[in-house]
Amino acid sequence: MSFKGGTSSEGSTDSAATKKSSKKPKYSKFTQQELPACKPILTPGWVITTFIAVGIVFIPIGLASLFASEHVVEIVHRYDEDCVPSDYSDNALAYIQSTETNKTCKRSITVPKQMKSPVYIYYELDNFYQNHRRYVKSRSDKQLRSKASESDTKDCDPEAVSKNGPIVPCGLIAWSLFNDTYRFSVNNSILEVSKKEIAWKSDQQYKFGSDVYPKNFQSEGLIGGAKLNESIPLSEQVDLIVWMRTAALPTFRKLYGKIEVDLEANDEISVVIQNNYNTYSFDGKKKLVLSTTSWIGGKNDFLGVAYLTVGGLCLFLAISFMLIYVFKPR
Amino acid sequence: MKRYVYINDDDSTKDLYCDNRISNRKYTIVNFLPKNLWEQFSRFMNQYFLLIACLQLWSLITPVNPASTWGPLIFIFAVSATKEAWDDYNRYLSDKKANEKEVWVLRHGIKKHIQAQDIHVGNLVWLCENDEVPCDLVLIGTSDPQGLCYVETAALDGETDLKTRGVIECPSPDKDIRRFDANLRLFPPFIDNDICSLTIKNTLLQSCYLRNTEWACGVAVYTGNETKLGMSRGVPEPKLTAVDAMIDKLTGAIFVFQLVVVIVLGIAGDVWKETEAIKRWYVKYPPEGQWYELLIIPLRFELLCSIMIPISIKVSLDLVKSLYAKFIDWDIEMYDPESGTSSHAANTAISEDLGQVEYILTDKTGTLTENRMIFRRCCISGISYGNESGDAIKDVDLQNAVSTSSPDVIRFLSIMAICNTVVPTKSKSGTISYKAQSQDEDALVNAAANLHMALVSKSGNMIEINYNGSSVQYELLDTLEFTSDRKRMSVVVRDCQNGKVILMSKGADEAILPYSDPGQHTKIFSEAVEQYAQLGLRTLCLAWRELMEDEYREWSLMFKEANSTLVDREWRLAEVCQRLEHNLEILGVTAIEDRLQDGVPETIEMLRKAGVYFWMLTGDKQNTAIQIALSCNLISPEPKGQLLLIDGKTEDEVFRSLERVLLTMRITTSEPKDVAFVVDGWALEIALKHHRKAFTELAILSRTAICCRVTPSQKAQLVELLKSCDYKTLAIGDGGNDVRMIQQADIGVGISGREGLQAARAADYSIGKFRFLKRLILVHGHYSYNRTAFLSQYSFYKSLLICFIQILFSFISGVSGASLFNSVSLMAYNVFYTSIPVMVSVLDKDLSEKTVMQHPQILFYCHAGRLLNPSTFAGWFGRSLFHAIVVFVISMHAYSYEKSEMEEVAMVALSGCIWLQAFVVALETNSFTILQHLAIWGNLAAFYIINWILSALPASGMYTIMFRLCRQPAYWLTMLLIVAAGIGPVLALKYFRYTYTPSKINILQQAERLGGPILSLGNIEPQSRSFEKEVSSLSITLPKSRNSVYEPLLLDSPNSTGRSLGTVTPFDFLQSSSRLSSIYSRDYKTN
Repeated sequence: MSFKGGTSSEGSTDSAATKKSSKKPKYSKFTQQELPACKPILTPGWVITTFIAVGIVFIPIGLASLFASEHVVEIVHRYDEDCVPSDYSDNALAYIQSTETNKTCKRSITVPKQMKSPVYIYYELDNFYQNHRRYVKSRSDKQLRSKASESDTKDCDPEAVSKNGPIVPCGLIAWSLFNDTYRFSVNNSILEVSKKEIAWKSDQQYKFGSDVYPKNFQSEGLIGGAKLNESIPLSEQVDLIVWMRTAALPTFRKLYGKIEVDLEANDEISVVIQNNYNTYSFDGKKKLVLSTTSWIGGKNDFLGVAYLTVGGLCLFLAISFMLIYVFKPR
Repeated sequence: MKRYVYINDDDSTKDLYCDNRISNRKYTIVNFLPKNLWEQFSRFMNQYFLLIACLQLWSLITPVNPASTWGPLIFIFAVSATKEAWDDYNRYLSDKKANEKEVWVLRHGIKKHIQAQDIHVGNLVWLCENDEVPCDLVLIGTSDPQGLCYVETAALDGETDLKTRGVIECPSPDKDIRRFDANLRLFPPFIDNDICSLTIKNTLLQSCYLRNTEWACGVAVYTGNETKLGMSRGVPEPKLTAVDAMIDKLTGAIFVFQLVVVIVLGIAGDVWKETEAIKRWYVKYPPEGQWYELLIIPLRFELLCSIMIPISIKVSLDLVKSLYAKFIDWDIEMYDPESGTSSHAANTAISEDLGQVEYILTDKTGTLTENRMIFRRCCISGISYGNESGDAIKDVDLQNAVSTSSPDVIRFLSIMAICNTVVPTKSKSGTISYKAQSQDEDALVNAAANLHMALVSKSGNMIEINYNGSSVQYELLDTLEFTSDRKRMSVVVRDCQNGKVILMSKGADEAILPYSDPGQHTKIFSEAVEQYAQLGLRTLCLAWRELMEDEYREWSLMFKEANSTLVDREWRLAEVCQRLEHNLEILGVTAIEDRLQDGVPETIEMLRKAGVYFWMLTGDKQNTAIQIALSCNLISPEPKGQLLLIDGKTEDEVFRSLERVLLTMRITTSEPKDVAFVVDGWALEIALKHHRKAFTELAILSRTAICCRVTPSQKAQLVELLKSCDYKTLAIGDGGNDVRMIQQADIGVGISGREGLQAARAADYSIGKFRFLKRLILVHGHYSYNRTAFLSQYSFYKSLLICFIQILFSFISGVSGASLFNSVSLMAYNVFYTSIPVMVSVLDKDLSEKTVMQHPQILFYCHAGRLLNPSTFAGWFGRSLFHAIVVFVISMHAYSYEKSEMEEVAMVALSGCIWLQAFVVALETNSFTILQHLAIWGNLAAFYIINWILSALPASGMYTIMFRLCRQPAYWLTMLLIVAAGIGPVLALKYFRYTYTPSKINILQQAERLGGPILSLGNIEPQSRSFEKEVSSLSITLPKSRNSVYEPLLLDSPNSTGRSLGTVTPFDFLQSSSRLSSIYSRDYKTN
């Protein structure tokens, strides 16, 4: 950390001063590249300490995360296969595409542990590529935001315009809006599903206009997913807003609603599912998820396990470095 | 093609030849834009980026906003174009200055003042003393009654001698400054209507200075860019550094890799689309697509992967390179207080090549030496003066001898004062100044004057000497001129006091001592010569003889006759002179120091330790060159050194001697011997023309070479030869004669010394003194290389990192070419987030300057491309792949299920990259100054600030994202995990390597920082170049045995006649070679 350049440059300063030349470069620590510097090197002590420190910090964090994740109560119920009547079991696609068939499906779920409110209701789709290039780009943020850009549908192909004018909301994402619905009841009393605050507030305020109403939506051709009530502005269409927040992974959960009461252990929840959404053509799974939350989010052991692994490896490395250093210092 | 120059005839030749306008400009205002664009687009990288930018305009395939490529592209083009325009403007200004210089020209019989650019071929140009010659002239008249004029030709051949040029006047313009074979015929009414021949001696070449002559008048024969100098100026090619070349290569490799990725993913994407996407109703693929349907996905991947090649690398490299250059400009330790010049990097692009230099080709006069001769010692009648003090003038014994008028000393001093061609001039204040053709004579006359034997005047044939206040007159009878063949000069004078005719001679020992009086013992003198030569002094022997009146008269007739012969005059004269110069009484030996510049031997030694090969190219004589080479550690004395000579006047002879040298060289390369070869200009020309292959082999084998009497273009040829063998060359010189070599070499260094600034102006770097070269190469070269190596590889690393994440993302997005990151993030990632911390790597120092200077051997590591080669690059490539996997896997798993929102996941992955970046830069930084901390951690903070700002804008796609993330503990846990998982293995690996297989740099770092002993640095040198130990033990103070140095030469030289002189004749080969050179020059005269 020391610099010895100072003495020699002083010498030249003196001799140059007598010459009084203006060409002489000005001295500064920056121009002479002599800024005081800290020069750490990888000494065994330093490296081993670092690894031990990382290990010591990571293992408790990992344990805490795992504990938090364990604490979350989560019920995952797959219903896409069971909700197809047995006579259609060979041809689920025909069942789902037909408008005649009865899509109502009753399921019952047992609560394993007490679930404190709010209990979040998610639907989980699997093998569904919301991040596909053709899909993810097929939307018009401008049109969603304001009435004035209603006809701004250039990115929405192939769901841009209908015979009666531009489709609002246009694009594949909106068109394929998830349309299964759930009704819950426990002990024969209906469980209210609250749709409050399931969408991001910012989306409701800025991304989806309160003066933009659905228009020409799902009106012709192939019907994709859910229809929208044309009298409700987009900013209030929370299911659409949630759906339009595209997922980065092909397996994703989207918030359906919240149950604002506690669910007790061993409660039998009966769910009435309107099984409308077609995932059968591409073997996608549909799951209903009820989950509580914790400081780390939903049930996810990944962080905890990863922290324990990394912490453990760091300690292992530190110990092996120490051993190697003892037996072969250099 | 002949050119006919009609003297002073404006009309007939005016349009035939170009005017005297000098133009070094590359562009004009009109063609600047197209030409510059064309040049920029001739770079492959730029074409590639343009193609990408154009493809991005197609919205169907672009993953991001086209502005993210167009913006940087336009910015980069604008920066380069501005730089070019600025450079060209400066060239225009300097041309303009030269073009508008006022000169006197005779037009229609009237002397007119015009601008230099208006001179036409055939014009009569008048020059006054100290004027610069504006174009190539044939001299037709001067103020001197004898028709002589003195020209300082420093700009042309590097010697500051004042050369005598004969009076009087062509082939097509060429660049050979030694040849000018023309004829002059004066038209009637001149009576002398004969054709008279003109040689180079009759010309005044452009850029020379007229000295000691009141005026001169000449006919312009070559003007503008057609002058000898202009022709030899050559177009400097843009220089590409080894690092640049490597970066280009790596870019090519990455490009190929990218193509492979694109093709593989493109095919996979099409397959997935045909088999899977078609089933997914929500994607709504039309059953029948366009004809180009199959191309869309590959093209999307091409655009997605185009970030693999960092578009910013050129701009950031340019930026840091100009900072390296600034550091050189600012370096106070390379400031020369004597001349008041600081070092300057004119070419900002090639600093890292300084650390790659393998060959240094250096000029001698003015570069290694100060070009200032000083009389140091003498030996008069066996008594040595100046041995203790090192300065004979201050030697009390000598001063006493002078004051007691010891006859030997008096005679010695009068020879010093008289036997020369120096012209004394008395200024108005009464002080006498001397104008000498050679610096040696100047030194001798001045020394004599200091010892109270002052040459006062030379008027006509009368020479007046002032000895201790009394005036002594001599009549100059004849001057037996110095030729390189005879290696001595003599004068015959008559002492006006006693009427005695005296022959005074001075010359090289081998040209004087053999002709001494048989009765005299010359051993004492030859010993003195030897002793002085060991000290690196230039020796001259002084001798005299009283002539009998008859003898002189008889000889004088012969001399006059010889003087008037037309055929073989020089040879005849030499023969006649020989008849007089015998039975000489040797008076003593003078020793003159052509002082080496300060620190030259140390610099050369240090750079040779660093594994750099040194070649000395000089226009000077062979023996002088060898002496200087010895005294500045360039060649080592026997037994460590061996000097091999290549000579010969015909092709065969040169070839034979070349073969012989090559054979010796091949044998001795296995031995730890310092072998050097010596070649002169004539042999070199033959060798280069006819035996290029053999000579090239020799050049590669030889660690040291001395090339004497070489022309500027030969210097450049030698540089080219070495360059063609893929060696990095550095040429250093100070005069105009070095300009071509400097321009040709990979790195040209000019010494802005006493000989004007021509070399310094043409050079990439100009320094005040030779000794700064070591700092330039070792410190600046070393640091620049380290920094650029890190910066360039890091640029690829960060681009690859983000690209790999995109590729990994494509696997979970249906191989459809979707981008995880939005355009703003992508652009900002390259422009802000990752380029600022790496910029401060320009302050990084792996070792302190002191350590670098103490261990020049580490320069080897730059040679070998230690820090930037395919394998280090593979390391960075692997690291970016590993980090991409770490970032991707962790962020995708930590943000799965209900959290897997596209913008959020993208931001988590991006922040993961930024965190890793910061730690990677920190890990690779060797020394942290406050600026580095600021840039690395400040950049991390800036990333959050920028994203908070973006997250606060409702219009942006990232609205509220960053606030959301920062509130989640899971986000920070994810970051910590990414850093630990990404850096941990890198740190462990680095530590392992550092501790168990440390490089020499690591050892030095440990020693430097922990203060421990430096372990086993001796092994630093690679096997092939392990001469260093021998060289390092050498120093200038070691006595150098002169004979032993030259013995091998005698064995080698077929021309050795072995004349016995009491000592072996060491300069035999020199004589034979210089004899050839005179024959050679005579050949040209008779042509």
